Amino acid sequence: MEPPQLAGSGDAPPKQVAQAMDRLGRAARLIAEIRLGADRILEALLASNENPRLSEKAAELTLGEEDAMRRHFLDLRTVGKQLEESGVLSGALRSRGNSWGLHMPLVCPDGAVVAYAWKRQLAGQAGASAVDRARLALKAFSDQKRRFFPQLEDDQLNRSNNDTIKFPPTKRPRLSHKPTQSPNVDSTEQKPMLADILKIIETEAPGVTISTYQRLEWSKRAESLASTMNDHSLDQPKEQIFANSSSNFNEVAVIELVASGVFRVLVSLHPAGSTDPDAVAFFSPNEGGSYLHSRGMSVHHVFKHVTEYADKALQYFHSSDPNKALSHLLSWICSHQSLFTKICSKCNKLLAMDKSLAVLLPPVHRPYLLNSKGQDQDFATAYHIGCSSYDV
Amino acid sequence: MPVKWLMHFQPNQGTTLTSQVMTEACAVAESFPGVSRDGRWRSSMTFYRAVPRDQSLPQPSDLPRDLIGISLHDLPNEFLFVMRSQRLILRAQSSVQTVIDKLQSYKGRFFINFEGVQYKWGDFKLRIGKCLYNPNESLRGIVMEVEYLPLSSMDKSQRVMEEFYEIWREAVASKLLAGQFINTEVNFSEYGLGDSYTPQHTAVLYGMCVVQVIASSNKNQ
Repeated sequence: MEPPQLAGSGDAPPKQVAQAMDRLGRAARLIAEIRLGADRILEALLASNENPRLSEKAAELTLGEEDAMRRHFLDLRTVGKQLEESGVLSGALRSRGNSWGLHMPLVCPDGAVVAYAWKRQLAGQAGASAVDRARLALKAFSDQKRRFFPQLEDDQLNRSNNDTIKFPPTKRPRLSHKPTQSPNVDSTEQKPMLADILKIIETEAPGVTISTYQRLEWSKRAESLASTMNDHSLDQPKEQIFANSSSNFNEVAVIELVASGVFRVLVSLHPAGSTDPDAVAFFSPNEGGSYLHSRGMSVHHVFKHVTEYADKALQYFHSSDPNKALSHLLSWICSHQSLFTKICSKCNKLLAMDKSLAVLLPPVHRPYLLNSKGQDQDFATAYHIGCSSYDV
Repeated sequence: MPVKWLMHFQPNQGTTLTSQVMTEACAVAESFPGVSRDGRWRSSMTFYRAVPRDQSLPQPSDLPRDLIGISLHDLPNEFLFVMRSQRLILRAQSSVQTVIDKLQSYKGRFFINFEGVQYKWGDFKLRIGKCLYNPNESLRGIVMEVEYLPLSSMDKSQRVMEEFYEIWREAVASKLLAGQFINTEVNFSEYGLGDSYTPQHTAVLYGMCVVQVIASSNKNQ
């Protein structure tokens, strides 16, 4: 077996990704060898049990296999260390290090390898099933294809993927972004849908201000927030500098939810004008700047952790109730108005030290499970990271 | 800007404050897992008194006799004035000190410096410092400023700061110091200040805190 190459952080990102994939492959082969070795040992034991004359030969074979397995384990440990250093196992690099548009592959806790994370949430999810991940990967791919190669017809995809999830034939290729549903999707129908959803949320959560933006409008707004925050002489940040594009719902790409003094949350929709949430990020109301977008990350620990959890919630809503993913997500976001006042449902405290992170945090995990009828359960409970007994 | 609470150490009746309290407080802060030292900090206060003018001329009756001038560590280019009797705060550029010196309408009577160590702990910043009376640099108090970076609303951060205060008090209690840390309570609305935290809030906190520190220092001497 070829000696493992040293990981070079000075290597170009494509090489790092290629090395990581190579090491993952090697690790898989080593694990297979170890399993085979264990099978052979077991076979030898069973054979010598049935036929005592073979016991000497079985002993020889067992010793030989033990040697081989020991070597495989050592090699596996070396490869494991290299993978750990490159951030593949812990996912430490998945939210940064966007060098050259590439992401490091990620090993999910159930053993599946996500080779190419086109979207951050795809790489980040830990609990979704292989079917969900495959569906989301296919959706991400088809979204990218539709965006960059609109001239290609969807039927081409149908013909080339006979054994995979089929897209139903669509009347309007550009708008058919929900392949598992009947294609009654029309741009004029989407306008009232997004508006209706937002109206309902505004009624349910009067303490949250909801604004909508086109993509470029939001970029300008984020920059203006930076200059506002730097000016300490203003007690109240300027709000609504840019008019909402609420009258033009088929171009809305960013939804901003602000709970005064608590959070600013950004949800992006893709494609623009749809009710399909793409990404979500939580920020402090103090923050401003070009990093304020749905794939950005707050500088504050509390909002970083809520954002990571929100990624999982978004994936869960997509997989369990795709039609209402946006409604559920927005309701769940609005429940965070009490982020800094609601005590943990387990330990009854507000602040708790997270020992692994060594920071003091309020309860940042709010369970997002829907009940069997697909309704949200008021999202009323909150847990510290350490008090959360399961990953919901 | 992020909210702050300001605490000062209240020695027990009859005991004298020593710099050992500062050492122990820093040791408590450094014992929290994940805390990192973040350099030093320094703020200063000047106690001005109005210079008596020619008594034959009519004097405006609402001129304050005393002024507190504050230079904060996180706003080096600014200078804040607190007029406690009128409940007014004024923000100015730091060059206003030169103007006051030249005008000779107010003269600095004495000075108080706050200086010490600052720490970063997750989303919190802690600043522990000595309160030193100039010119003889005598120790008058120990203060601790706690800043919670994600929030600017005093109301929304109240619960977080209260719990932090309890965590701090419990940690300090183990050191068996002859006294305890007391939070500086201020009714900001009397000064016309709102819920969103500003440097003016900090100025009022320090103004109130130093009065309590000096009072308890005089009582124990």
